[in-house]
Amino acid sequence: MRRFIVLPLLVAAACQGGDGASERATLVDSRDTYDPRSLDPALSTDVPTGRAVGYVFDGLVRFTPAAEVEPGLATRWEVSPDGLTYTFHLRRGVTFHDGSALAARHVVRSFERVLDPKSRGGRAEPLMPIRGARDFNAGKAPRVSGLAAPDDSTVVITLAEPLAIFPKLLAMPVASVIPDSVPENFGEHPVGSGPWKFVEWRHDDYIRFAANESYWGGRPKADSLLARIIPEPSTAVAEFESGNVDVLQVPEGETRQWDQTDERKALLQSVPALRFVHVAINTTRGPLKDARVRRAINHAVDVDAILSQLFSGRGRRAAGVIPPVLGGADSARTPYAYDVARARQLLAEAGHPNGIDVELWTSQTPVYVRMSETIQGYLAQAGIRAKIVQRDASSTREAARKGETDMVVRDWYADYPDADNFLSPLLASTNKGVGGNYSFYASPDFDRLVTQARREQDEAARSALYARADSAAFADAPMLFLLFYNELYAVQPWVRGFEVPTIFNGQRWLNVEIQRQTAGRR
Amino acid sequence: MLTFVARRLALAVPTLLGVLVVVFLLLYVAPGDPVQEMVGERADPETIARLRRELRLDEPLRVQFASYLGGIARGDLGRSYITNRPILGDIVERFPKTLLLAGAAMLLASVLGITIGALSARKPGGWFDRAALGAAYLGISFPVYWVGLLLILLFAVTLRWLPPSGYGAPIYLILPALALGSRSIAFLARVTRSSMLEVLGGDFVRTARAKGLRERVVVVRHALRNALIPVITVLGLDFGYYLTGSILTETIFSWPGLGRYVVNAIARRDLPAIQGSVLFLSVVFVLVNLITDLAYAKADPRVAYD
Repeated sequence: MRRFIVLPLLVAAACQGGDGASERATLVDSRDTYDPRSLDPALSTDVPTGRAVGYVFDGLVRFTPAAEVEPGLATRWEVSPDGLTYTFHLRRGVTFHDGSALAARHVVRSFERVLDPKSRGGRAEPLMPIRGARDFNAGKAPRVSGLAAPDDSTVVITLAEPLAIFPKLLAMPVASVIPDSVPENFGEHPVGSGPWKFVEWRHDDYIRFAANESYWGGRPKADSLLARIIPEPSTAVAEFESGNVDVLQVPEGETRQWDQTDERKALLQSVPALRFVHVAINTTRGPLKDARVRRAINHAVDVDAILSQLFSGRGRRAAGVIPPVLGGADSARTPYAYDVARARQLLAEAGHPNGIDVELWTSQTPVYVRMSETIQGYLAQAGIRAKIVQRDASSTREAARKGETDMVVRDWYADYPDADNFLSPLLASTNKGVGGNYSFYASPDFDRLVTQARREQDEAARSALYARADSAAFADAPMLFLLFYNELYAVQPWVRGFEVPTIFNGQRWLNVEIQRQTAGRR
Repeated sequence: MLTFVARRLALAVPTLLGVLVVVFLLLYVAPGDPVQEMVGERADPETIARLRRELRLDEPLRVQFASYLGGIARGDLGRSYITNRPILGDIVERFPKTLLLAGAAMLLASVLGITIGALSARKPGGWFDRAALGAAYLGISFPVYWVGLLLILLFAVTLRWLPPSGYGAPIYLILPALALGSRSIAFLARVTRSSMLEVLGGDFVRTARAKGLRERVVVVRHALRNALIPVITVLGLDFGYYLTGSILTETIFSWPGLGRYVVNAIARRDLPAIQGSVLFLSVVFVLVNLITDLAYAKADPRVAYD
């Protein structure tokens, strides 16, 4: 039996030859866990798509790894005093990968294409603030009235109402600029002006990119980039250990194995992610209507223990919904203390001395299932009997959107780095259900503060308004506040210049390179 | 023979129709909304309503079903809601990879399984038989998932003989085929062994030995051939396991086959993709069963179809 198994393996080992990481000149990314939906910016709704679109295309502006907005195709822009009109001045001499030159009309056409009711992308939301966009998208107007290209290097965008975060929305993948000629299979063969040219896409396997020699921002340091699609996190770890991939997102469950050996620890890079783990509490269902009950839930759960035991300490405890790295976050606010007696007292005050029954919904992601069971245990101590309902992600989302969940575990990633992307979808009354507010929270005060902040052009004043809105919601406890997640990456020792991005499309591999001398199998 | 094939194929039509009805109804009653999966985490109700109209999801179920059947009759499986690509193209791109993996696993399993089974049957109760039996029990009990990760750990991370995952040169095929075939090797060895023991006790074997044939010829040419009938059945039935087992194997080994496609389609509620691939796999099953039946006739002249 031995002979049968060992023989083919020996043959295989002999065939493999000597090419290891040392000879590799291509940067290999292991982060995508599923095939991108398309490489057409208009269809960009998921992370793998958004990342790839960010390599091939440019927008008027873009995000740095630290999630700051910096000039992209626009070198500068002005905002009118009323906050309604944005004038973007385009970079000169930019060419698309097909050789055609960028002009202002491309920006207008690209946006209209996304908003076109025929494009069926469904993710036109970031461009909706433009005046006339909604009518055009509904097929009620022939053009978007708020888009204009007065000359080849100027784009004037007029908004329906003032919106201070608008430039951040323009750094999203869906606002990428595309050339004139768009073939039928554009999603499979994208052509943009970005740092990387598209080479090849093998579905569920990899996407290959080559350096754009004439990139306006300077040619990428590496010649080629391969985005591998690896669905199983343990496999990605094995690929990293074998030196086949350069960058790895360390899975939660493996954190301890990484940060406890010095050799491995030296490879780690961590940044706070714009990611907020919480349990939305539906404020319109039964006893949960009472804020005292919701506060009781917050007092009943030992969040620090969850953070250290289930997330290996990878994160910061949340006292509000705004991650600490964003304007509006108030680091002085104290989280709800773990205090079972206080929780019981609040329940009794609310008229439930014998406790309450709730359903706690979760997707089947292992860490959230374990977390739900832990929360269930804590809640039981305070007399809150939680029944866990486990469904696949799509079904859980649907139930939450319809308002059928008492409590639902949620992991919220930012699309753009701004407090607004947490406050407004999670808690604004206009976003109840489908819009993302699974708490069905409706507070006129909160809504007013958020709306006011969206219009405010002064950053400091805007942050102050966000902080007030966050405080108000925190006191009302429309969710069980858990944690802001820290991203943890392992980067091979031969990789230079990689910075872990705070936002998913913040790393475009421009300054990343493989140092050939030290490269090799560890 | 031809009439038999034609009759079997004609019988397949109601089977496939039944599959379609069941899949259609299941997806209809299952929770999860395809349109909301299309638009991502957030969208306004108007966009959702518009997409629902465009995809004709607001029409009565039987109208939807009729138009879907119409499409199939024209050979059109529709386009994916999520990627907007034609389903047929997606399947044609991925199925050969799944078939390659299943074929390699099956080949590995039959060669190893039948050999081990035949060798065990030669001296029942001997050291080889007992060792093979023990290994077979382990092989049947371990889940593919676990075997796969173990193989990666051993051969890719520790020994560095083979790549951990991916698709490409034949070297990439070894670990996934071994993982997928492991359960079958064990099972086939067990079936071959018991079938061989039965056959080896038969009169014709005694006759073969009596007329002075060498043991090798007796075992391989006379006994084994007769013992293979139940093995063929098991292989045929196992093919279904290879295709479904490949879902996990493909995930662990980042193999870009049809199994992962189906899983992704289900997770994203991509109705046309789910229906198209289930229909396609059903056709494959029907064909495999037919081939299994025809293989009986080849292995055993007593079986004749007319």
